[in-house]
Amino acid sequence: MYDGTVATLFFYLFAASSIALALGVVLGRRLLRSAVCLIGVLGSSAGLILVLGFEFIAGIQVLVFIGGIVVLLLFAIMMTSEGHTFEQRPSAARRVVGGIAATAFFAVTLSVYWNTDFPLVSKEGLAVSHEDVHAIGRKLLSNERDGYIVPFEVISLLLLAALIGGIVIARKHDPEDI
Amino acid sequence: MIPTPTITHWLTLSALLFSIGLYGIFTRRNAVGVLLSIELTLNSAILNILIFNRFVASDDVDGQVLVLFIIAAAAAEAVVALAIFVSFYRHRHTLDVTQANHIYDQGNRTS
Repeated sequence: MYDGTVATLFFYLFAASSIALALGVVLGRRLLRSAVCLIGVLGSSAGLILVLGFEFIAGIQVLVFIGGIVVLLLFAIMMTSEGHTFEQRPSAARRVVGGIAATAFFAVTLSVYWNTDFPLVSKEGLAVSHEDVHAIGRKLLSNERDGYIVPFEVISLLLLAALIGGIVIARKHDPEDI
Repeated sequence: MIPTPTITHWLTLSALLFSIGLYGIFTRRNAVGVLLSIELTLNSAILNILIFNRFVASDDVDGQVLVLFIIAAAAAEAVVALAIFVSFYRHRHTLDVTQANHIYDQGNRTS
């Protein structure tokens, strides 16, 4: 079943849909529509990650990115726009600068990629599961030399700080407060 | 016949998504639009790391752990950005980033 053809088909399917939806995110003038397109891009990326064989990361992507971050962005759009979600068209100078920057980045990166021989270790067909959740958990919590226990603790501190900071920044201030 | 995707095809796709997000960062005027584009670039960076983990270091899980950290940092960043946007909108009644050259609303803080 996983003879590579299915994986190739899904790769091109998800690639085309994610590129089209990403253009929708960037070029559209309605922010809500852009956010919905972003949901589509992240879903296509979850599909691509599945094609790569990382089921756990794909699940995390759907749960956290789509379920958390995009919903938060939708909140932000609805709280701050009061119905007029239109955005003015960017000026021509902005579009020229943005186009030049994006195209230059893409050209340079592409030329690097196509001129590099990557030291591939696995050449078998895609759509094979490479999941090892036990290994991820051990890596996250081990205090050996190659463990990630310190970044794990730091990221939990970061989340706590973001929670408290978000509340402090967004609450209503009294005029004579602070 | 379409070719089977190699690592270069995957990386090209990721770079293309990053470039689209970069264009959005440069051209958007609404701050939430800029944040949407930033999420796009973060997503392509995640994809890039996973591609390298799959093709170059497939017997390690370091790339996946790094992706978990990036997702957590992106969530924290979205929270703080939302709070800043709400505060900014309350002071200025707009989210246009070209108007955002002061952190404080100086009209209210004359003392």
